Amino acid sequence: MLAFCNVTKRFGSITALDDVSLEIAPGEFFGLLGPNGAGKTTLMSLAAGLRTPEAGTVALDGRPVASGASAARRALGLVPQTIALFPELTADENLRIFGELQGLRGPELRTRIDEAFTAAQLTDRRRSLVKTFSGGMQRRLNLVAALLHRPKLLLCDEPTVGVDPQSRNAIFEYLQQLNRTGVTIIYSTHYMEEAERLCSRIGIIDHGKILALGTLDELLVQLPFEDEITFPVDPATAPLVARLAAEGEITAVDGTHRFRPRTGYPLSAFFALTESLNLPPRLFVSQRPTLEALFLHLTGRTLRDA
Amino acid sequence: MSQVRILLRKSLLMFWRAKAAVAITFLVPIVLIYLFGHVFGLYRKDSGPIGIPIAVVNLSQEPAAQKLIEALKAEKAFRVITTRDLGNGATRPLTEADVRAGLHDNWYRYALILPADLLPDDAFGVRMKFLFNPRNEIEAQTVNGLLQKTVFSNVPQLLGQSLQKHARGFLGDERFERFNRNIANIVADNFGGDREKIYQQAISGDLGFSDLNRTGAEKTSVPPPGLRRLDATPAPSGPEAQSPGSKPEGQKPAAATPGDQESSTDIFSRMVKIETEQVAGKEVKNPMAARLVGGYAIMFLLMAVSASAATLFEEKNSGVFQRLLSSPVRPAHILWARFMFGVILGLVQITVLFCAGRVFFGLDIFRHAGALFAVALSAAAACSAFGMLVAAIAPSAAAANGISTFVVISMSAVGGAWFPVSFMPDYIQAVSKFTLVYWSVEGFTDVLWAGKSLLEVLPTIGILAGIAAGVMAVAVWCFSRGRLFD
Repeated sequence: MLAFCNVTKRFGSITALDDVSLEIAPGEFFGLLGPNGAGKTTLMSLAAGLRTPEAGTVALDGRPVASGASAARRALGLVPQTIALFPELTADENLRIFGELQGLRGPELRTRIDEAFTAAQLTDRRRSLVKTFSGGMQRRLNLVAALLHRPKLLLCDEPTVGVDPQSRNAIFEYLQQLNRTGVTIIYSTHYMEEAERLCSRIGIIDHGKILALGTLDELLVQLPFEDEITFPVDPATAPLVARLAAEGEITAVDGTHRFRPRTGYPLSAFFALTESLNLPPRLFVSQRPTLEALFLHLTGRTLRDA
Repeated sequence: MSQVRILLRKSLLMFWRAKAAVAITFLVPIVLIYLFGHVFGLYRKDSGPIGIPIAVVNLSQEPAAQKLIEALKAEKAFRVITTRDLGNGATRPLTEADVRAGLHDNWYRYALILPADLLPDDAFGVRMKFLFNPRNEIEAQTVNGLLQKTVFSNVPQLLGQSLQKHARGFLGDERFERFNRNIANIVADNFGGDREKIYQQAISGDLGFSDLNRTGAEKTSVPPPGLRRLDATPAPSGPEAQSPGSKPEGQKPAAATPGDQESSTDIFSRMVKIETEQVAGKEVKNPMAARLVGGYAIMFLLMAVSASAATLFEEKNSGVFQRLLSSPVRPAHILWARFMFGVILGLVQITVLFCAGRVFFGLDIFRHAGALFAVALSAAAACSAFGMLVAAIAPSAAAANGISTFVVISMSAVGGAWFPVSFMPDYIQAVSKFTLVYWSVEGFTDVLWAGKSLLEVLPTIGILAGIAAGVMAVAVWCFSRGRLFD
């Protein structure tokens, strides 16, 4: 559906996207995970036709997006990172303007606006000025404003920044519902939990390059360990750390040791060791590796530090 | 076009919702025009300054000195101060030391000293001393002019006294008396009148000039016998014998200002008669208001549209442009919608301000409505294009505000929004023709002052339209190379 082919985009001396190739299939919920400044927004703006690449092409259903063709533009909806609304106007006036700009008129426009308010759970506030809305309400309106014309492709550029958990869940559920109806979604975020929860396929991006691409399972299998055990940094655990160094990768972050055993190292051996050192089992938590661990593995940095 | 219309409607709706912006755009200029009307005295029937304090120290014993002080007091421009308050209601005459201290401390800025030797013994003539503190250059020049007029109107009588004083010293008392008796006899024999009265008049130094300087109130009395007025104007008779009101419309004596028509019969205006005729704007009730309202309307319009254009940055920063440009909206739609919004805003603002001018100053806007609308439309287009150019070249909203403030104030000053361009040096007058303010003010005054028709103001409208097209073209070019839509 959407294809990036050897795309490079520069801003002066900074290369925001470096020879990126990527294909998004129809109906996909694609996650673009990376730290701030990784190139996510640039990739989104190229997909939306807001910028043109220095090299390579971006095509939607085989038609170049940047050519300005109305058909291509009507097929996509963009949810910008910022609240792209007119705060001095009411929610209803905002949706009316954005709907009309998409070519909607009359009863069809009214119906779409009603549906949007229902989806955003803002029907009772439709006559209120947007500037009187809470951050979460503005985010929900920001989202549905991009959906009035029922785009086939929805570009969500970090749509939950600064949103309370309740509104975030509402947005997630709505996006998943949309995706089930066949809308293709590209969702950029620097929260791994969002990517893990929502996306059927994930691309990890940093410094303008796609570092890894695939489903969650496909990505995690790239890690040289299957489990991750955490325990506190403490004098009592110091002998354990010394003994584990030869059995896998061990790091200490924020007062917590993370032990990623080498392939083939049995967990039973680990717990036998802790028992021999008289360390209580409650100190240890074993979990499946996360995208955070993958990012750390790929870049040497955590998503938060990047 | 549909996208432009939708975006234009959005801008109008947002403007209307921003009550503070509406107030600043309309009410503030109206209030300021009202205040400036007071500043420039547009509500008064007369004109010129009133009540400028001037201290007068009279050290002379000559009767004419007192008469000169009375003449100064009769000038509405002056508030004559001759005494110093000592407290408890007691006063004493001012001294030179008093007025020097007063000038230094800015109690008053002008002082006239009539010395003891007002009519010096060693020379023919009159001596006076004028002290001033030129804190306000324009006021100083005005006062100088008025003071000279008042003093010189009384100089002939003072000179007559000086002449008689010297004649007495030169001829001796006996021959001096005989000389004046002979003069009185010759005058009485040839022109009639009482010999003794003419003699007394002559030795007092009044050689007939005083009659030339008499004020309206004095003229109602029977003129004294003796020397008659130099211009030998026939005695008033019948309805034609009126002051300037009876002259053809627009014709007034040269020295006649609304406030001093009665005293315009001073010696100089009697000796040099200049008839003036106003050939344009005779029917304009308040000529200065036409320029004031037009000038300030353009200045405020420039400010309003510049501020409006600067909001493009807000929309960019809020991400609205991203949303718009990812839809079937192109940058050109956004720019033309904003330009048209500026034109409509300008047209409404000009209309409101001229209506205010109608209410405050009686501007006749309805008789010239068609031509006025055409000038206002072209001026609004030029101003809107200017606002777009500012937004196009500025890197941020703050920079746009700074640039527009500088350019608008400069252009308003040079273009004649505040003062008539004719007051300015030649090179500034040449520069002013490159400003849209100049052509807008010219257009408004052409219509409201000179009463020109739509056809006659077409060249001015054409220039304004040309400025709008040219500036907008440059703005669009700058936008295409700038980062507003990145």
